Amino acid sequence: MRAPLLVRALPDLVRVSAAEVTAWRAELILWVLTATLPLVQLALWNTVAADGPVAGLDQADMARYFGGTLLVRQLTANWVTWSLSYEIRSGALSPRLLKPVHPLWQYATQMVLAMPIRMGVLSPILLGVVLWRPELVVWPGAAAFALFLVSVGLAWLLQFLIQALVGILAFWVDKTDALFAAWFSVWLVFSGYAAPMAVFPDWMRAVGTWLPFRATLATPVELLSGGLAPGDAARDLGLQLAWVGLLLLGVGLAWRRGLARYGAFGA
Amino acid sequence: MLDLARTLRVVAALLRVGLSAALQYRADFLLDAVLGVLRASAAVGPTVVLFSVREQVAGWTAPDVALVLGFYLILQALMSGLVEPNLGEVVEAIRSGNLDLLLLKPVDAQLLVSFRRVQPAAIWDLLGGLAVLAWAGWQRPSPGWGAILVAVGLLPPGLAAMYSLWLLAICTSFFFVRVDNLRYVLGAVVDAGRNPLVVYPPWMRVILTAVIPVGLITTFPASALRGEGGLSLWVLAMGIAVGFVIASRAAWLRSLAAYTSSGS
Repeated sequence: MRAPLLVRALPDLVRVSAAEVTAWRAELILWVLTATLPLVQLALWNTVAADGPVAGLDQADMARYFGGTLLVRQLTANWVTWSLSYEIRSGALSPRLLKPVHPLWQYATQMVLAMPIRMGVLSPILLGVVLWRPELVVWPGAAAFALFLVSVGLAWLLQFLIQALVGILAFWVDKTDALFAAWFSVWLVFSGYAAPMAVFPDWMRAVGTWLPFRATLATPVELLSGGLAPGDAARDLGLQLAWVGLLLLGVGLAWRRGLARYGAFGA
Repeated sequence: MLDLARTLRVVAALLRVGLSAALQYRADFLLDAVLGVLRASAAVGPTVVLFSVREQVAGWTAPDVALVLGFYLILQALMSGLVEPNLGEVVEAIRSGNLDLLLLKPVDAQLLVSFRRVQPAAIWDLLGGLAVLAWAGWQRPSPGWGAILVAVGLLPPGLAAMYSLWLLAICTSFFFVRVDNLRYVLGAVVDAGRNPLVVYPPWMRVILTAVIPVGLITTFPASALRGEGGLSLWVLAMGIAVGFVIASRAAWLRSLAAYTSSGS
């Protein structure tokens, strides 16, 4: 019952979401610019690698890696935790609940439709990086590229679900923004956003391999930059799938529980 | 010209009110503490990674970079504790027209918008920064008193420049509607301040000193403690800070003149 409804509603949902996203396109440009840390980190690690390769990574590898994090970060960007927690707190969620499509689908459509604008803003920046160090462009091979696409999709889903879960917590607690900030500060290290995991101390890499952070960024980036052996790729994609499954359960459960509370406010 | 004593009294009163408003939510204190400790420990991560593969970077050892990181964390604490809560509020007040209510009060509106809200949770980031500085001080040979004096003297101009940058960001929201995310853009650039400026290419150093002056308050004091630059660093920092303060005040007054309230 639900799936056919979603399919029927999709064209309208897309039209409305596209209008919402493009209404704030200047704002979206600013949001893209908030994710420029890979450029800063590239400058840093480029200097570090100037004295010789670090853990096997030379300057071109660093440019390739951080070009990858820049791209994947944008491809998986969303802001559902802030939208959701704000709308729960202010009651703006109510009109969304009246629509026949689940609010999470509404958010998801919006975030996907923001992608073309994001890519439009990002491409000159990426082009600049490529012009600065052309040797970073290496075709990973058709198989690795296909896996990269799958992996980016899973990473997007993971980011969306994690943010949604933290946002849903606004049904119970007030501090969801602080909660997400703390998550993000750990994510920044263990996702491979600040530095490639190849240069981590052994214990950090060992821990980081199994934490959920890597699955949201480093896995697709390493698939694209060719830094992942086939066995590790299989393990990492499996982990991505496992985290997605776990989070789907968690988000579903939390949403039902939370919504029951929301109704109790009389909002 | 503002009367200095009165200004300080107003700021103190605003901070007191802001703090008691924030402290109403005492139950959040424990959660804040846990999250704060988590944030502060994670902030050290990238530097730990860096020095697990290298003894030194561009002539800076781990304790040297820890000095920079410590000042950076303290700056972050001050920004998230005192500055950012206010920025969000002003942007919303301009959009909704509530700024009218502040403009009617017999106190300079810049003070009112700058010090109305306090975020006590930032104390944990402050403690994290002090801990990192303490570790660096313990690892390094003691700098001379002159160096310490210059380093401490660099903090006021550095803070003044960063505050002015933030005020300039606020001014843009008089002309564009949704720019509260400008603070995240600034925050993203400020992140570059966690490393000494020498690791960046020259054009980035210039930007991080004179345009987004985060280097003034992170790298400059650390350089002073390493015995580099001395008084000339302070003179340069003062020059940049004075420029920022004058520019931001002028921009604020011009923006206010252009403000069309909700009623007009």
